[in-house]
Amino acid sequence: MSAVIEKPAARKHVIDERSFTHAAGLATGPVSVEPYRSPAFFELERERVFKRAWLCIGRIEQLPQINSYFTKDIEIWKASVLVTRDKHDRIRAFHNVCSHRGNLVVNQTCGVAERLVCRYHNWQYRNDGELIGVPDQKHFFDLDKKTCGLTPISCDIWEGFIFLNHQSKPEVSLAEFLGPFGTRYAGVPYFNLDETIVIQADFKANWKLIADAFAEPYHVPSLHPATLAPGFAHPEENRYARPLSAMAHGIHRHFSAYGNPDYVPAPTSKVEALVYVQDTGGVLGGDASDNAAALTAHPAINPTKDPCWSADVTWIFPNFNIDYSTGGFWTHEFWPVAHDRTHWTLKIYIPKTMSIRHRLQLEHYACRWAEVVLEDVTNCERIQRGLESGAKDTMILQDAEMLIRHSLHVLDKWVKADRVADALR
Amino acid sequence: MTVASPSLPPGFEELEAFVPYWVLDSNDQRRAARSTAEMDDIQRFYDAIVARAEQAIVHCEQFKLGQMPPASERLFKLLLAMNHAAIAVEMHGAPRAHESTWPSAVRITQGPWPHGGRI
Repeated sequence: MSAVIEKPAARKHVIDERSFTHAAGLATGPVSVEPYRSPAFFELERERVFKRAWLCIGRIEQLPQINSYFTKDIEIWKASVLVTRDKHDRIRAFHNVCSHRGNLVVNQTCGVAERLVCRYHNWQYRNDGELIGVPDQKHFFDLDKKTCGLTPISCDIWEGFIFLNHQSKPEVSLAEFLGPFGTRYAGVPYFNLDETIVIQADFKANWKLIADAFAEPYHVPSLHPATLAPGFAHPEENRYARPLSAMAHGIHRHFSAYGNPDYVPAPTSKVEALVYVQDTGGVLGGDASDNAAALTAHPAINPTKDPCWSADVTWIFPNFNIDYSTGGFWTHEFWPVAHDRTHWTLKIYIPKTMSIRHRLQLEHYACRWAEVVLEDVTNCERIQRGLESGAKDTMILQDAEMLIRHSLHVLDKWVKADRVADALR
Repeated sequence: MTVASPSLPPGFEELEAFVPYWVLDSNDQRRAARSTAEMDDIQRFYDAIVARAEQAIVHCEQFKLGQMPPASERLFKLLLAMNHAAIAVEMHGAPRAHESTWPSAVRITQGPWPHGGRI
């Protein structure tokens, strides 16, 4: 039996009619769609945004012990990166490229090893990047192993999230890059860090289209009528799922999503009612209620402390979301591949399976999510076709779509600014 | 895969017909099975498994997760597949999201333990 069924009806929801767009100091006119369809703009994004911004590539739990490592392809850099935890417990990142003839050193996605060997000629590296073994070294000419280590990549950590910067000497630190967002969201508690559902999609649309989809709830009643709308909108009190709040935090941003307090599975939804054994409210329930309480106590989360809250979407510029809900947290990585190609990874952090019934709930949760993802991916591919046709040069944004406007505003600054410090202003 | 008959625990014979199609090893395989099935077949499976879901859950609760005898594990996998049938029956009234494309660009590359699968 779902606990949510016994929930008392909440008081009437009051929609905040103040303009999020005006409050963020943004203009209100139409915006250009060139950033979504122009290969030239995509190259500018590669050089001026993705090669200068700090990018989140994972969490520290992916390196659970000394000598753990993982690799990741960052296609917008055309690079394979190697992230290690060395014997001094330092997390470091390198280009996964051998100094000898440029081959990729590690071909596994993750593992545990102090020594990493390029299989081409068995050159050996320690996981702190030092070159420690060269077979038949005496036949090289003046080889100085000390200068032939793996090429380091700037790496720093915020709240357990690992960020990399392509600049060999980053113009700004991670703390400066995160700015007011980093301080505001410091100390938010994270739960269930060891178990994840991972959903991935490679599809034919610009990376910003999918980021935009998660930046506004206005489309929820129309595009997700069955999967999300019953929990995130209300036929009388919040028909268009207007956000509870939406704010810019320097170059980053958030919105708080409404949750329908009256939501219960429909009488015909027998399976949904049967499997939701653990529920903290809303359709994305799944975490324990004391975890949800600790999360909602943090001042950054649901900043207006609206009782009809379901989730906060935070968008860390340029391509990363951390989303917090009563049912746990999840992250989105929106990785550009080409101006019309994206690789998207959604990681949903879930409690360890506790029982048969809980496992059934997790299956329902995973397949609801996959269905939402399918709806969004299909939709993004349609938008890309629409934009590429050239029929429209601009798009029109309403107040609930403020985050998209802010994203394009910040992107424009980064593309134009010669110095990162100027792009941060 | 061929399954010895009967493949489910005693008392669940009426679910036997659904074993070949719906007993699968990963979350993504179950999603694909539902997404490519005919709605009538999904509905038949849904009606049959929902009618026995409570007894099937009680049966599976005799065992530790990940340590079930093969027949019980098959029954448990039918219960897992029930969730996917529910997406079609309870949400869309169709095998998958309206106007969605298939084959799909979306993959569940890691599902919940156990029997979630990892790609």
